[in-house]
This record gives sequence, C-alpha cells and structure tokens, in this order.
Amino acid sequence: MKRAPTRRSKRRPWRKLALVAVVVLALAVGIVAFWVAHLDRVVTREFQGRHWSVPARVYAAPLELYVGAPVSADDLDQELRRLHYHSGDPATPGGYRRSADAFDVHTRRVRFIDELREPELVSIRADGNAITALKMGGTDLPVFRLDPPIIGSVSPIHGEDRLILSPTDVPPLLRAGMKLIEDRRFDEHPGVDVLGILRASWANLRARRVVQGGSTLTQQLVKNYFLSDEQTAARKATEAVMALRLEAHFSKEEILVAYLNEVYLGQDGARAIHGFGLGSEYYFARPLAELEPGDLALLIGLVKGPSYYDPRRHPDRARARRNLVLQEFAEAHLIDPAVAQRAAAAPLNLRPPGGSYVPAYLDLVRRHLKRDYAEADLAAAGLSVYTSLDPRAQAAAEHALSAHLKRLDAAGRRRGANLEGAVIVAEPNSGDVVAVVGGREFATDGFNRALDARRPIGSLVKPAVYLTALETGRYNAATLIDDSAIEIKLGDGSVWTPQNFEHVFNGPVPVARALAESLNAATVRLGLDVGLPKVAETLQHLGLETPPTLNPSLLLGTVEMTPLEVVEVYTALANGGFRARLRAVHAVLDEQGRPLKSFKVQLEEAAPPAAVYQLDRMLTLVTTHGTGRGVATRLPRGLIVAGKTGTSSDTRDSWFAGFTESYLSVVWVGYDDNQVTGLTGAVGALPVWADTIAALKSTSFQPVPPDGIDDRWIAFADGRETTPACSADAVLVAVPANTVLPAMSACNVAPGAPAGAPLAAGAKIPAGTKAAAGARASGTGPVATATKTSVGDKFKTWLKNIVH
Amino acid sequence: MRLTTFFSATACAAALLSGCPAPAPRASLPPRPAPTSSGGATAPPPAPPMPNPPSVNAPPRAPAPQRENHLSPATRSLVTQAHTLMAHGDLDGASSTLDRALRIEPNNPLLWVERGRLRLAENDAHQAEGCGRKALALASGDHAAQNQALRLLADALRAQQRNQEAHDVESQLGR
Repeated sequence: MKRAPTRRSKRRPWRKLALVAVVVLALAVGIVAFWVAHLDRVVTREFQGRHWSVPARVYAAPLELYVGAPVSADDLDQELRRLHYHSGDPATPGGYRRSADAFDVHTRRVRFIDELREPELVSIRADGNAITALKMGGTDLPVFRLDPPIIGSVSPIHGEDRLILSPTDVPPLLRAGMKLIEDRRFDEHPGVDVLGILRASWANLRARRVVQGGSTLTQQLVKNYFLSDEQTAARKATEAVMALRLEAHFSKEEILVAYLNEVYLGQDGARAIHGFGLGSEYYFARPLAELEPGDLALLIGLVKGPSYYDPRRHPDRARARRNLVLQEFAEAHLIDPAVAQRAAAAPLNLRPPGGSYVPAYLDLVRRHLKRDYAEADLAAAGLSVYTSLDPRAQAAAEHALSAHLKRLDAAGRRRGANLEGAVIVAEPNSGDVVAVVGGREFATDGFNRALDARRPIGSLVKPAVYLTALETGRYNAATLIDDSAIEIKLGDGSVWTPQNFEHVFNGPVPVARALAESLNAATVRLGLDVGLPKVAETLQHLGLETPPTLNPSLLLGTVEMTPLEVVEVYTALANGGFRARLRAVHAVLDEQGRPLKSFKVQLEEAAPPAAVYQLDRMLTLVTTHGTGRGVATRLPRGLIVAGKTGTSSDTRDSWFAGFTESYLSVVWVGYDDNQVTGLTGAVGALPVWADTIAALKSTSFQPVPPDGIDDRWIAFADGRETTPACSADAVLVAVPANTVLPAMSACNVAPGAPAGAPLAAGAKIPAGTKAAAGARASGTGPVATATKTSVGDKFKTWLKNIVH
Repeated sequence: MRLTTFFSATACAAALLSGCPAPAPRASLPPRPAPTSSGGATAPPPAPPMPNPPSVNAPPRAPAPQRENHLSPATRSLVTQAHTLMAHGDLDGASSTLDRALRIEPNNPLLWVERGRLRLAENDAHQAEGCGRKALALASGDHAAQNQALRLLADALRAQQRNQEAHDVESQLGR
C-alpha cells in the first residue's frame, strides 16, 4: 500500500514535465508563428508599397533653341553630349549627327512641365555665335527645346540618393553578372541558401576567418532595407525569415530589381550613392544602358566593398576587382573572352570628379520645397521637380569661383587658410535662380555660403542710399554733395569719423561720381540728409526682411546679409524697380506627370521705376569710371553692365553685385573664420563676377528710358554740364527732364541738350531680345539691326564706345 | 509691401506717363521717424544739396521719339500656344509657356501684357496689376503697347473693386 503512492508520485513529475514541455512548445510555436506572421506582414506591406526612400528627380531648365538664340554649334554639340545623346546616328531616339554646323537630332520621349513630347527628328543649324536655322520635316520651327537635364534628386531622408530603375532599364549583363558574382543559386533557392551557408561556413572554418558570405541577394536586400548592420543571431534569424517570406510573396524579378535599386555603391560627401542607376551616373556620367562590360564589372565588383574598392581613392584595387569580375564573366560565358581581355586592359573610364552634382543648388530647391510643401507630399514615389537651374551658368560660376580663389590663395595672402566664396546667378525679370555655388568645393555637400554665410555687405548698401535720395526729388545724378571729413556724434557719446577708402577727401562731387567711386564721406552726408529711417525703409521695400539697426554706419553697409538676400534686394534694381520673388522650383509633377503645384512669377513694385532708372544709369558708371572698372578687361568688348563693389571693414568681406539685361549675379569672397583678406570687392569678388557674366553670353544692360527722363553730359569730376568735345571726363547721365544744371563756363553747351542726336530710323526690332542681340553680335540673323531712336540710344552708343 | 499699397494707380500711371520722377508715397511701412530721434546718433544738421555754380536752363524737350515693340517668331508661336492652352482651360500650361517666351524676350511689354491677362484669368488681379505696371514701364515710347498695358491695368484694378483708379487709368488711354 505504501509503494503505490510512491510509484504514482514518481510518475507524476514525468507527466508534469511533459505537460510543461508541451505547453512551452506550444507557446514557442505560437510565438514563432506570431513572429513569422508579423514579419510577413511587415515584408508584404513595406515591400508592396515600395516605401523605401525614393527621392524626387530634379531637372534643370531645358535649353531653348530659336533662330538667333545665343547658342553656337559647339555649344549645341556640348549640350547634346551633356544630355547623353550619342553622336553618329540619328536613326533612333537619343542619337544625333553633326556635319560641320548642321545637326540632325532624334530627340527622346521627354516630359516637360506642360507637355509630354514624343520623339522627333529636328534639323538645326548654328554658326559660331547663334542658332541660324531650325526645321522639322522641312518646315521652319519657331522654337524648340532640348530635354531638361536631370541634375539630381531630393529625398525626404537627406543623404540617401538614388535613381530608380524599372525592370526594362536593367541590362541583361547586369542581371546575369550580379547573380554570378553575388548569388549563383539565386534562381533556385527560396530566399535562404542552406548549401551556400554550409559551403561558406566550411570555407571560413578552414581559413579560421571570414572569407565567404552565405547571404543570398534576398537576405542582403532584407538586411539593407529592413534591418540594422549588427551581427547577432537574432538579427540573422529575422533576416532569414524575412527573406523566406519575401520570396514567398514576390517574384525573383521583383526582388532582383529592388536589390539593384537598393544596394549601396559609394559615398559622395554626405550623399550616399544607392542603386545602379545613380551609380552609373555618379561613376561614369552615363545612363546604365550605355555602359560597357568593363564598366558594369566595376560597379558589380563595388558591391563587395564600396569603400575598399572605391575607384577614385583606390584605383588599383578597383581595377584588380573589375578584372576578376570580367574573368568570371568570361568563364561563365556571359561575355566573349576577347571582350573581357580588351575590357581588362582598358582604363577605369571614370568621369572627372565634380561637375554634375550641384549640392548648393539642390539645397535651395530643398528649402523652397520645404517652404511650399508638406513633407508627406514629397515622400510619394516618382515625383519630378522642374527647376530654373541653367547648367551652363552653373558651370561658368563654379569655374570662375574656383579658378580665382586658387589664384588669390596662391598670391599668398594668408598661409594655412583657404579663401572661400559664393556665387548666385538669377534672372531678375522672373526671379529665377539659375546658378548657386556654395563654396570652392562646389561638388561636395557642405556649408552653403550662398544661402547661409551672413556677412556685412559694405558698399553694396550704397545704391539703396542713392535711390532714397533720388526718390526725394531733391537730388539727381549731377547734384553736388560734399565729400569732406565728417564727424558724427553717436548715441553712446563716441564720435564716428568715416574715412574714404583712399583716405583722401574730394570736396564737392556730383552724386554720380560719389556712387561710382564709392565715396564714404559723401554717402554718409547724403544718407543723413535723406534720413536713416528712409534708407532703412528703402532697403525693406527692396526685400530686406529684418529691419536694420538705425545706426549711421548702416550707410556704409554694416548690415549683414547672405548672398541670397543680396540677390533679393538687387533684383528690383536690375528689374526697373520691380521685385520678383526668387524661384528655384517651377513645378512638381507626380508619377503620372500631373502637376501637384506650380510656382508662378510673383512681381511687386518695390521702387519708382524712374528713380531706379536714374540709379541704374549711375551703376553703369561704376563699371566704366568707378571702383568696378576692372570688369572691362574680362567682359566682351562693348558689353554694358551695371554693378557695385562692396568691401566690409578691414577687407574681411569682398563683394560684387551687378547685372546685365537678363542676368543678375552676386559674388562674395572671404574667409570662413572672418579674418582679414586684404581684398577689396574689386580685387576679390569682381573678377569672379566678370568671368561668370562673360561666359553667359548675356546682352548689354539697356533699360527702357521712362518718359520724362533726359540724357545730359556732365563732367565726371565736378558735375557741370558739358560736351564730350569740351571735357575729357564727360559722362552721360540720366536726369529728370528740364533739370537745371550748372554749365561749364568755357564750354558752349548747346541748347541742344538733352543729349542725343536722332539716329537713322530703321527697321524695327523686338525690344531687348536675346535674339536681336545674338543677331547683332554675329552680324547675321533674321532681325534687322538699327532700331527706334530714344534718349537711351545715345547713351548706349556712347557707353559702347568707351567701355573696353 | 503689397504693390497696391505703394501707389495709387493714378499717381503711378500719371508719373510713368508724364515722366515725373517724384516718388509716390508708400503707405505700407510705418510713418518714418525723424532721422535723429531713433538713429542713436546726433548727425550734423541736414546738408542741403550744395549750391551750384551759374547755370543754364535746360532747353525745352524734343518730343519723345517713338518705338514699336513686336513679337519675334519664337515668342509669337509661344503666345499662340499659350492662348490655345488657355482656351482649353490649362492655365498652368499657358503660364509655363509664357514663362518660356519671357525668358527669350524678358523686356517685351507685350509679353508682360499677356502674362497679366493670364493672371486675370486665374483670378489673381493683384499680380495682373503688377504685370500691367511692369508692361507700362517697358512700353515707354510705344503708344500701342502703352494702351495695351493701360487696359490691362484698368481691368486689374476693376477686378479689385478699385473702380475710380481704373477710370483714371483709362483716361490716359490713347493720349
């Protein structure tokens, strides 16, 4: 009787244990099932929606072609190559043929903001200066635009960049080569390759280090897309389960294409290069479809270690890796052994560094998008952003800035520190920003000086002082103001004695000369006479957002602004008194090409056009007789420009702001740590400005004279009315009609003033067109030269004769 | 900073057409304090423009020479295209097309009139007014273009219920 309970008690623990085991097992199975189901849901949801970071593609402005457009035959050739058109055969879209100055271009299917254009065959003729003929099917074409060049992408996740490939974009060799090198059993395994893992483990065991990986492409995709980089068993298990579930739901094709879009291929500053689409652009500046087997082998080889095999930093490693991949291609019969051999002997074929990536401009695009869009809108896949960027202006500004900074550094102003700079080019009529350079390392992400360097603007403020004076009606270009020593008692009891840059005072000088020579004492007197608050008000009307401190030193430019803010303020001066809101983004289209939003030109009248006209005419004297006359040696002969130099105290900041008929550009040069540069605006910033403008093939600044404004000759030195025959320093200024001017006594100033004998009336010309200017420059073109007579014409003729 | 607060249309149009360079009053910023009261500085008494030496009177002005603006083949075709798009109700497309034309001829007043007409169609009378004023400034010396600009300006003002100003602008027509 005593044993039975003992037996039962012995049996019970075993049963209990079994029960617990069953429960635990059931629980574990449940948990695992729940976990797998959870991972399954994640994989399906995320992957189905393709919610990985797909940045919006950003396009530059297309090049407009029309008879007279200032595009030479060589420019056109270069532009077509920039757009990856292949030279030789125009039989298919994307091809063109050039014979001398005649081009046959077979355009691609391309989407613009306002239309989807099917491929077309266009014949274009151009000479050394401009387009001379444009035809389609034998009929004259009035205007035609080339494809908008793609300049990059903006992503909600900053730093991750890619160009998405669709399955049809993937070349067969890439498809086969990728599987061959990274995952030979890709087409057979269910997401995890057990045989592969065993083989790799055995190889690693024998080598006593990791020499082979057993991860499939699917696992790599899962890891990159869903998981972290940590090497734990739990992470590995999750990866394996997710890979299996991914394969259960999606086809091999979908997984492979996703992998090709996801994979990390290199680093460009803060920008991570993802996917073969962008990889091709980044390393070779060509679309994937145009890559040679050797190029594809290099990209495929990079997957193993983008940093270790970086072809720019370690070309030898990259070449060895490429050649190994080529050898495997040949052994697997993917390519002919002879082709592999030739490719292995070829150089790496990389595009030159820099050039195509425009981080400072994309930064402005990103900020404008952020200002005008909800972030959620921009997360949608497949958006296209159309901008005003002009790649030619951008390249010109980049080149001018880097070349001059190198030259100025070499002049040895300061050891151990490099000068920095920024350039912005805009079209003042529309407010379109066409180029932004944020520093000398223009192709790398970094501090964007064009948008973020806030510095005292020095004499760039003076046009606002003179505009205020002109607006009072009490001053004109010939009015004398006193340029002599001045003492101003400040609110804190101290005394301010502004000096002229040359430390010489000139006595009475005409307003036009005081501005042209940037005379400080005369300007301070003028500014105090019209009133600091009025000057501040003018600045605000012109676009300065923060009210400046009303201190007399405001008149000499202690106010701090970024180059972009200076552009905003100068836009109205370059645009006859009308301020256009700056615009980098024209429109955003969704994946189907429907506009989400477009940004239209926004115009405000900021200052009276007649006063601005008089001021602008004085600003042209800055570049012929004043501190900006150094532009003469760098600009095409006869090009009339208006501008102003600026230098902050002790030459810490060197500025130039100026404009032609269609471009406004602002340049800043200085040190990031705000040290003394020893450079005035004329020595540091001006050459950068002039070289940028010279490259833009712009036309002269020739504003339409308002009614009621006359041209009059005055002596630049003392402002008395004169004639060119009487005074060597006679300059033509614009003053209100019927202004009484003091006459130079020895001169017989004819009662014939206002200056300007009528020119022969001739054929009409579209007012201020680039076409007209192109035609004039080349001496050809459809538009006849000579135009109506106006008060401004005499000025133009005179100025063209004296400039350069 | 709105244009409408800068000028009365009458003052602006009269100033532009008569050539009077005197600025119109700006009402959008607060009244200007006296220069010395808030400037933190005691400036010397305002120096009037310096006395001028003996002078001659400017002679009477010759009548302003005439000019005539017209569209080039490229911009004419773009304007035609913009009209077609407008007729189909695609105002965004028309706007982009006019942008292209203005990029080619930024200083052609006829194109600014076109842009202003489009802004009116978009019910943006304020921007239409800006375009009208810009066109008027560029049309100096071209009566036909001036009249087009004035008509646009008057329509833009009327669309903002500024009927008296519109009437004043219209009274400048054809002069």
